[in-house]
This record gives sequence, C-alpha cells and structure tokens, in this order.
Amino acid sequence: MKDVFVSALDKTKSLGATYAEIRAQKNNNTIINVVDGQIEAVTLAKEIGAAIRVLADGAWGFSTTNSLSQKDLEKSAKSALTMAKTAGKSIRTPVKLAEVKPVEDTVKVHVKKDPREIDIKTKIDNLLSINKACYKFDQRIKSVTVRYADLTTEQTLGTTEGTFINQEKRVVWNYCWVTGKSNDIMASARDEVGMHGYELFDTETPEKIAQRVSRRVTQQLEAKTPKGGEHRAIIGTNIVGVLAHEALGHICEADLTLAGSALMGKLGQKIADEKVTIYDTALMPEGFGAIKYDDEGIPGQKTVLIDKGTLVGLMHNRETAAKMNMKPTGNARAQDFRVQPLIRMRNTCFETGDHSFNELLEGIDYGYYLEAFRGGQANLDGTFTVGVQSAFEIVKGKLGQPVRNIGISGNTLETLKQIDACGKDFGLEMGRCGKGQAMFESSGGPPLRVNKILIGGA
Amino acid sequence: MSHIELCKTAIAAAQKAGAKEAEALIYGDRTVNVDIERGEIKTCSDLKDIGIGVRAIIDGKIGFAYTNVLTREEVEKTAKQAAAASLASLKDKNWRQLPESRKYPTVEETFDKKILEVPSDKVVELCQQMIASSAEVDKRVLAAFGGAQVSSLNLACANSNGVEVEDKGTFIAYALGAMARSETQVSPMCYEFKASRTYDTDANWVGKEAARLAAQSLNVGKPEAGRFPVLLDPFALQEILTHTLIESAKGDTVYRGRSKLRGKVGTQIAAENVSLYDDGTLAGGMYSGKTDFEGVPRQKTPIIEKGTLRGFIYDNYWARLAQGKSTGNAGRGGGALSLPAYCMVPSISPTNIKLEEGTASEDELIREVKNGYYVRSVQGAHQSNPDTGDFSVAITPAWRIMKGEIQHAVKGAMIAGNIYDLLNKIGLMGKETRQRGTFIAPKVVVTELNVVSK
Repeated sequence: MKDVFVSALDKTKSLGATYAEIRAQKNNNTIINVVDGQIEAVTLAKEIGAAIRVLADGAWGFSTTNSLSQKDLEKSAKSALTMAKTAGKSIRTPVKLAEVKPVEDTVKVHVKKDPREIDIKTKIDNLLSINKACYKFDQRIKSVTVRYADLTTEQTLGTTEGTFINQEKRVVWNYCWVTGKSNDIMASARDEVGMHGYELFDTETPEKIAQRVSRRVTQQLEAKTPKGGEHRAIIGTNIVGVLAHEALGHICEADLTLAGSALMGKLGQKIADEKVTIYDTALMPEGFGAIKYDDEGIPGQKTVLIDKGTLVGLMHNRETAAKMNMKPTGNARAQDFRVQPLIRMRNTCFETGDHSFNELLEGIDYGYYLEAFRGGQANLDGTFTVGVQSAFEIVKGKLGQPVRNIGISGNTLETLKQIDACGKDFGLEMGRCGKGQAMFESSGGPPLRVNKILIGGA
Repeated sequence: MSHIELCKTAIAAAQKAGAKEAEALIYGDRTVNVDIERGEIKTCSDLKDIGIGVRAIIDGKIGFAYTNVLTREEVEKTAKQAAAASLASLKDKNWRQLPESRKYPTVEETFDKKILEVPSDKVVELCQQMIASSAEVDKRVLAAFGGAQVSSLNLACANSNGVEVEDKGTFIAYALGAMARSETQVSPMCYEFKASRTYDTDANWVGKEAARLAAQSLNVGKPEAGRFPVLLDPFALQEILTHTLIESAKGDTVYRGRSKLRGKVGTQIAAENVSLYDDGTLAGGMYSGKTDFEGVPRQKTPIIEKGTLRGFIYDNYWARLAQGKSTGNAGRGGGALSLPAYCMVPSISPTNIKLEEGTASEDELIREVKNGYYVRSVQGAHQSNPDTGDFSVAITPAWRIMKGEIQHAVKGAMIAGNIYDLLNKIGLMGKETRQRGTFIAPKVVVTELNVVSK
C-alpha cells in the first residue's frame, strides 16, 4: 500500500503540488433498526475508497475514488491537482500549512469486545430486549424505535511530507426513540449511547436504557407547560456538554472564528466567569472523539478553550493554525473518504467545580432544572439553541413538577457570564454533530447553575 | 455492463443465494463543487460516488448490503451478503412484498445536458460573482462561507417483481452565507441561494441578497415579548413544518400511532386557505423524477385541501401495511449517520411539498402584520418534537415590524407554540413561492404567535 501511495504522491509533486495527501479507507458497517419490535432490515456493508487532497497554486483541490489501485489513485490525484489549479487562479491569500513533523505509526483500537466478532443474533436479541423493556416500563408506551450501528474503519493516511499512518477507528452506537400516549396527550423522548467496543452493553443494559428513555416519556405525559422568559436554571450533566458544544465549541472552531464569529479578536480576553474552564480533548478514551491522530496526521491532544474565564485557545487544522500563527490542535476530521476534513470537535467539556447538586438547588427560589437534551444548534453570532426533552420546575430550592418540551436560547458572550456555580459530578454524552458532514463526538461536564437563560415556553 | 444489467445481476445472485424476493438500486454519479471561505475561492472538488444497495428477502426476513465498487464480481458478492444478512435476521411480520411494476410518468425539466458540460472554471466564476456582488452592497459584509456545485445523478432500480426503471437528473446550486460586523454588533450568518434542475445562473442576485440580509441585521433594537402576528418566510416555514407537520404526515408515523393526524382524515386541521400537497412530478422540482427509490412511480398526493386533511405519504412497506397504495415517497440516504442513498433501505420521504400561494404582495403582507415580526429563519427547529408538534425556536435573522413597516433587527427572541395551533392561524399569504429543500411555499402571516424574549 505504501509504495502505491508514495508513487501517486510523488507524481502529484512533480506536476506542481505543494502538498498532497491520500486518505484511504476500508469500512465495515453493521446497521440494525428495530421498529415496534420488528427488524426493519439487517444491513451488512463493506466499502472502500480514497480521498485525495492537493494544495497547488495556493488553493485546495479535492477528489474521491472508489478504487485503491495505483492507476486510479494516480488518476484521481491528477484530477485533484487540476481542481487546485482551477481554484488557485483567483486566490489572493494563498493557503499555507503549519509545519509539522512527519509521523509513521500504526494505531489499533483496543476494546474488550470487537463488534465484528459478536454474531448478528446476539445483536438482534439485545435490541429486542431494549424494545421489550420499553413497553414493559409503562403501558402508556405505544411506539419504540431502536437503531444500532457498529462502524469499523481501517484508514491509511499518506502525505507528500512523509507522514504514513495506519489507523483503526471504531464506533458502537445505540439510539432509541420512544413515544407514549395517555388519552389525548402524547409525548416522546430519545436516548443515545455509544462506545468504541461492544462492551457498551455490559454497562448500558437493555433495562437501563429502556428505563432512562421511558421515564422521560411518562414524565412528559404528566408535565405542565413552562413559563416563557428569562429564568434561573440548573443545566444538568446531560445538557451541559451540548452547551459547551453549541454555545462555545462551534465559534471556537478556527475556520468559523476567522469567518467573523462572535469570538473573532477575543483571544486573551475574559469572556466568562472565573469558575468557567472549557476544553476540547482527544485524550479521553471513553469519548467518541478519542482519536490518536486526526485526518491530517496531527497527534490527538487536549486543547483548553477557556481557562478560568479567559479565552485562551481555538480548535485548528494546519491551515487555520498557519493563518493565526498558532499550532494545529488535531481537530481536522472527515466523516469518511467521500469528504474533506473540516475542523470538528472531539470531546468538549466544562471543567468540574465543587458544588453538590443540592447546593446548586439551594440557590434557586424559582427556576428550572434542565435534565436531558433533544438537540442543539449554533450560529456564528453566538446565538445558540438547545432543545430540552426533560426538565423540572425548581421551587424554593426543591425539584418540583416536570415541564413539557422546551427550547432554551442565549448568546455565548452573555450566557457564559451568567454561570454562577459549577457542580462536582461529571457526565459525558455520546453524540453526533452535523457541520455539513456527520461526526461522532462527545461532550460533557458538571451540572451548572446560571443566573438567567431564555426559556421558550408559553 | 449497464446499470440496469448490474441490478439484474445482483437480483439473480441474491436469488441463487436463497432470496425469495430481491431488489437492487444503483444511485450516484459526479459532483463538481467549489467552496468559498472568508471571501475567497479556496477549494475545488471533483467528487465521484456511486454504489449499489441490494435487498434480499427470505420468509419475511429482510437483509440489505451495499458496495461502492460496481464490478460484476463485487456486485454478486454484495447480493450474497444481502442474502446472508436476511438469513441472520428475524421475520418481520409486517412484510408483504416488494413493489410491482407500474407505469411511470413523464416529468419535465429534471435533466439538462448543459449542466453536464459546465467546466469547473465556470463554477469558480459563479462563486467569484457571488463574492463580488456581495462586496458591492456594504463594506461591513464578509462572504464568510458558500459555494457552488453542479451534479449529475443516475438512478437504476430493478426487483424480482418485474420493476425495471432508470432515471437521470441534473442539479445546479449556489449559495452564500454572509456576515456583517459593526463596532457593536455581529450579524448572524445570513444565507441566500439558488438551486435548479436546469442550467441557470443568477449569482449576482444571491450575493446581493445575502449581503443585504446581513447588513440589515446590524441595526438591532429590543425585542418585545407577547403575542404578535408574525410574517414567516419560506425559510422559517420550511424549518418548522419539516420537523413537525411533515413528520406526522408520513404513513409510518400515522400507522404507528405517533402522529396527531391519525384518524383525522376528512376533518378540518388548518385554516381554510391552507392547501398542501406532495408532488414528485412537479416540472423542475428539486426532488422530482419518474420513480422513487424503490421503483414506484412518483405522483402528486394531496395532504391538506382548503384546511381539510386529505391523506398521507407512503412508501411500499407502510402502504401495504395500511392497506393502501404507495404514493411513490420512498427515499433513501441521510439519516442519523448521513449516508448516501445506496447505503440504506427505503424510508418515507417527502418530494416537493407545496403550500399553495395566496395573492398578497410583499408590502401587503408587512402592512397586514402591522405590529409584529418578520422571521426569515429559525434556529433549533430540528429540536422540535415531531410527534407532538411542539416547537420552541430562536428567530434569527428576524425583524420587528411596527406601524406596518420593517423597523429593526431583533436578537435574543424565540417563538414557541404548536404546529396544529399555527396551522389554524395562517392568514394572508404571499403570491410568490420558492423552493427550499423539499418545501415550496410563499411568505405567510401567522395571525398570532407567542414571542418570548429577554
């Protein structure tokens, strides 16, 4: 494989490329969906392909191919070079790459249970058990969807600078959507868990998953409508990561910061309360974002974004690092061989503090405890939204009645200043992020208390 | 070997491996893509992706496999793999059979040879025009992100029930996301785009509109909370309706008791001026074609007529279960894992959902609102609850309307409500429509919506 890569890369260089990389993948995927107890389909797939990125005349060219033969890789590399030269015709600020040491390495994912060695029947039985346990939880549960996927990638990355990395990537993922009905009232909730190995289900047993998601549904059936407007709130461990990801993470992705995000020009400035430290790390083995090398061959590392309230770092690829005279942080990630790497988060978390949950509650006369999220979204101006699927009233320092689905919204630069206490318990959520491409990532932190956040209720 | 021949090869191989029923779909082709970042054309891509997905059914057990290597040998291997997946699965008691052969419609303006011949230089030029025209509008605007792409997509589908169909389509799309900054304000990212199945270039308009929206978002005033009339742009409507009403109009959601529309066919669910249908045969529609993704003809399906619920959209599986006929709404691809179409089994997807237009001009719509808001886009719509129809979203970019005129942009405001309530409060509708994603709609006035703000 290496000889084939080197030959194609050398050829691009001799034709005028400043830099070129080939990222080849062989993927093995198993996908199973269970719809109200019926197996929708068992999907077994093998795919193969290569992504070729060439820097020439100051611009990028990119092409993809589904063949790893020398002839096809060379053909595709040539096409990428032509595309780069086309884009380069009008470029005023040529793309430069931060310098890095070439790496040669082979990386395996070490798991207790390789999903490829678990037979289909076992996987199906497990999913059916989750399905059954949801219906068993409460007779008001009317519909259950369980989605399972295990995806294994064998990736080879070679560059004209001499980097050559064989790296395995693996994800085991389970998603549930449960709907309940009581008279005319309807409610639904979701749950998502994951790990790198099938041992995921040793801790996330069917009963545990089913109870967590079904309880959210039955609570919603009894929930009252929240009051709209600004309120004090505790943001729970299931949501705090989404807040780190949506409210801060995206606008700290250097491509977005440079495009004029709310954090442009704010490096070194105090933008949050001193209690707030937020980081994005590859060095968290249990997270989806635990990667030894990113898709530009940069070693995985921990990147502190906010240190005690001060914005100290951004997430970079080699291009934005060069542009800002900083170091690449290992955040260049691509969904698969069909797309180019973008700056993506890995495991994005708030640092823990010292408050117990009860201490956080004590400070609130009237407010909301936001327990579990449905999704989130960010805009470059710092506007973020998080959909909340499970929340409770807080009355005089005590948890009260559940409230119905709500959305919360705020602006990064205002909301980070409203954090007045951080809890000591840490939670990590396994999720996916869409920035044109789907990416598995994690996010987490302790429960946080905020002075005010906008609640989109009645 | 032609695509349809490859499909038939796959079916034969699956049957040889024991499949009672088999189906193969080939989808994909080529896209030339140019990316804009920070006011510059930075990347040019030549993307080829095509693959085959094979469904094999043995005694109600459904197996599926796919590959992106279209050689006879790999296709046969994939078909065998699909049969093996089927044997490893359990019986789906809801399975009836694959679609049967039906007559396909003729659909206009879905293929344009000119698009296939567009050189990459021309796509770059389109992007240059968008950047240049956005810069002319206002100095404070940056063409932050955007791009242009031209694609051709081929589809071939065959099954053991006699379905055999091929279709081809072309697309051109270009978009710009503009941001504006002043001393005190950062605008949200403001998008404008054009998309078409036939060759068309209006890059200057896209650049100017994106820039105009961004610049106008800088003049920020305080939002006011309360119940107000709101003018919703097709962008905002598409976002809210896609994640609420459209989910509940899918036949599977209805059959499974997850839709509030279950049992409501023939009853009034929306204001009388609301008519909504799905039309996969619409000339030039972004999702038009002669066939869906399992070989069922595309068609026009009424959902709401003058406020009355008429029906739902179905694929083959759920239609047979609900004892009806597929409406040609089998789609594939996307989903939680964002996979290409050939990597997934079919599921119900809208084609072109059209909300019938009214007669009002832009000025009339704004005057009608008098004291309220104009919402271009919402943020967080995908966090809505598709089952209950509850939504709670930030409005951005959005403007305050006072005394029948647009006054200033607002930040930090949300709208919250339920889609079934909103449908009954649709008032004056604009006379012009546009398509965004699967949705075609005019601007509409919602007579009362709950606006929440700090």
